[in-house]
Amino acid sequence: MALLETIDIPHLPSSLPVHVALYRNVENADYLKQQLLAGNSEFEYALIDASMVLSRAHAITAIFRAINDYMNGRLKSRNVHSEIVFSFSSTNNIADSFRKFGIADSTEDLLVVKVSVAPEITHDSVAAYLEASIKGTPVPFDDETLSQISDVAKIKKFYKLGALPDPKPISAEANGVYTDDAKRRLELSLLGAIALRGS
Amino acid sequence: MTDEYKPPPLPSPFTNTSPAPVLLTQGAEAHLYKTVSLDPSIPAALKIRPSKPYRHPILDRRLTRQRIVQEARCLVKLVREGVSVPAVLSLDWEGQGGEDGGWGGAWLLMEWIDGPVVRVVLEQWEAWLKKNSSSLDQAQLEQEEERVRGLLRRMGHALGGLHKAGVVHGDLTTSNLMLRLPATSSDPGPTGVSMEGEVVLIDFGLASQSAQDEDRAVDLYVLERAIGSTHPRSEPLFESLLQGYRESYKGATSTLKRLADVRLRGRKRSMLG
Amino acid sequence: MIGIGMEGSANKVGIGIMLHPEDGSEPKVLANVRHTYNAPPGEGFLPKDTARHHRAWVVKLVKDALKEAKVTVDDVDCICFTQGPGMGAPLQSVAIAARMMSLLWGKKLVGVNHCVGHIEMGRLITGASNPVVLYVSGGNTQVIAYSSQRYRIFGETLDIAVGNCLDRFARTLHIPNDPFPGYNIEQLAKQGKRLVDLPYVVKGMDCSFSGILAASDGLAATYGLGGSEQAKLDAEKSALNTEESQDLDAKPTRADLCFSLQETVFSMLVEITERAMAHVGSKEVLIVGGVGCNERLQEMMGIMARDRGGSVFATDERFCIDNGIMIAQAGMLAHKMGLNTPLKDTICTQRFRTDEVWVKWRDD
Repeated sequence: MALLETIDIPHLPSSLPVHVALYRNVENADYLKQQLLAGNSEFEYALIDASMVLSRAHAITAIFRAINDYMNGRLKSRNVHSEIVFSFSSTNNIADSFRKFGIADSTEDLLVVKVSVAPEITHDSVAAYLEASIKGTPVPFDDETLSQISDVAKIKKFYKLGALPDPKPISAEANGVYTDDAKRRLELSLLGAIALRGS
Repeated sequence: MTDEYKPPPLPSPFTNTSPAPVLLTQGAEAHLYKTVSLDPSIPAALKIRPSKPYRHPILDRRLTRQRIVQEARCLVKLVREGVSVPAVLSLDWEGQGGEDGGWGGAWLLMEWIDGPVVRVVLEQWEAWLKKNSSSLDQAQLEQEEERVRGLLRRMGHALGGLHKAGVVHGDLTTSNLMLRLPATSSDPGPTGVSMEGEVVLIDFGLASQSAQDEDRAVDLYVLERAIGSTHPRSEPLFESLLQGYRESYKGATSTLKRLADVRLRGRKRSMLG
Repeated sequence: MIGIGMEGSANKVGIGIMLHPEDGSEPKVLANVRHTYNAPPGEGFLPKDTARHHRAWVVKLVKDALKEAKVTVDDVDCICFTQGPGMGAPLQSVAIAARMMSLLWGKKLVGVNHCVGHIEMGRLITGASNPVVLYVSGGNTQVIAYSSQRYRIFGETLDIAVGNCLDRFARTLHIPNDPFPGYNIEQLAKQGKRLVDLPYVVKGMDCSFSGILAASDGLAATYGLGGSEQAKLDAEKSALNTEESQDLDAKPTRADLCFSLQETVFSMLVEITERAMAHVGSKEVLIVGGVGCNERLQEMMGIMARDRGGSVFATDERFCIDNGIMIAQAGMLAHKMGLNTPLKDTICTQRFRTDEVWVKWRDD
């Protein structure tokens, strides 16, 4: 059973809910990527290498930007799902953004996003697809899980934020009350970079 | 002041927002709303630069875009440098676009800062002092002054950080400095006016990236004049602000030298005083 | 009370006679005569020539004004004259006439700040009680608001005046100076359709025009649009009433440049005015000064004011353009408060800031 979360992102119309699932130990990334490249419309999903995702806010911000551009008819890529992958980027280089954030053959941790751009796309239909297509362990889409997945060095390198201090490693005593200024600063810097892309 | 005034309709996508964003202030350039961030449990500030129908549409788009992007760039840079400012959460410089090509202005979604502006803190403190000055002994007076000095010094630290990052604010007043409420509040002392909390710089609508001593000195001068005119009792303590500024910014010496020139020039003294 | 106002701070010499009825009813304009010195196209007016013009005309204009007003010298209570700001030599030539009249007839002198004259006349004519004032002319660009007996300058030009910018561009294009260059730019701009990119320089409530002028001059040079030959072509074309094809890739026309220049500088003026209105919480705006006659500026200001739930006040060229009446009006307000100018203090000053004047006649 997939841990599929359906999110109503504030400010977006309620007719455009977003379905998000996070997987670890994905075994069939190469197959998923092939389907995507073949343009198989069944597989029109945003498939993101989760090691490049710092936090939930990081992902939601990229998704929001893509959907806002979609609503205003300003997509730079083929559809809203490819645009989500591109929207993680801080540069206008679409191919490069796919190489960095998109699914690769070697991807083990995968973030899957689907926007209900058509009425037949529902929580259930997405859940069924995930069940059938993705061979991996579903995990919750939250900051604690992502902090075990994200490759901070790689993320900092892509966003050219190498000078920023490193977030503290996750510790048991933090226990939910998470007050790591370094991580917060890095996260907010990512949000800013996403917002400014193309300006 | 403008009761019958109706703000222009919100640009997309905020027509969907529920509950609707609440208008806080209406400046000449921008409208500021309170709403939620992309996480419904976290509040956010939404700044909208509406289209100005008096301008030629090409010029209007060019200016609106330039300015909102400039403001966002300054904020993003400052966040990266670790200066306390509201972070940029999302941005759209092209307004609503869409079907009829309708252009509704640009918007900037920012982190919400919870706390009072320094203007209110100083006003409350000055009012308290005025009411109680006769009944205070020298030691109490000094202690109170010390608290304000501490606040001004922290403001100086914030400004030093700002200038060190290569940004000038362009419109520094005590209304554009806030105190972020600390998670746990401490005893505000006899005045009931807390001066705790991190100093946060806000409203970068006139900010720019600059490496000029002149621009930095004007920043300080404008703030000095603003404190002089709105907080006369705090003005003698301005030196503490400059002390904080020196402590946090290596280039302070040449900026402060320039500040002396700017003071002498005092081009608009009559307007501010 | 009857006052004579004498203005000559730039290329117009104007004499006005004004009646302030004793019963406090509405002041009346009894006479408003003026003569303008126009330099040939492509040139500006020089102080020496302008002063000579004023000296030649001032006596005749005073006589004409007295005749038109049907008053005698005995009826006159005070002689008001422009003390500054403006061009030195023209100011002096009119001040000398004022001093002479004062000594000859034994009347009190009142030195008037030219800008305050514009403001008081604008308030009188439009009925705007406490507006934010945009004062725009060939020599001045200021955003002014009243507070505790001063007209305070909130914003101003950091270099040349907006009218100077327009006048000088008119020279570049060899647009006639008659009736005045700004008017002719406005007419030409009406045929302009394409907005070319020009610098836009607003800093807080201040602005700058010299870079825009340089850029406009540069475009005129690049596209070969300056000089008298092009001006002649333009005149011939408009006489034949030929429509030019609107090809967007074509080079801009002279009209396009005038249009773009106006759109850009007027947007800047409206922007700084709006900022001042937001700052002081005012909903009224009054435009005074020669550039204030421009209907496009008035239109833009009107849209801005309407969107703020307010309104714009402007006057026509009888009062927008420098005149003697406005000097009489401001001078008489001061005279009533006992603010006269002793002979020894009647020296003119080219720099005379609006906020130096003690506005004793207002107590709001």
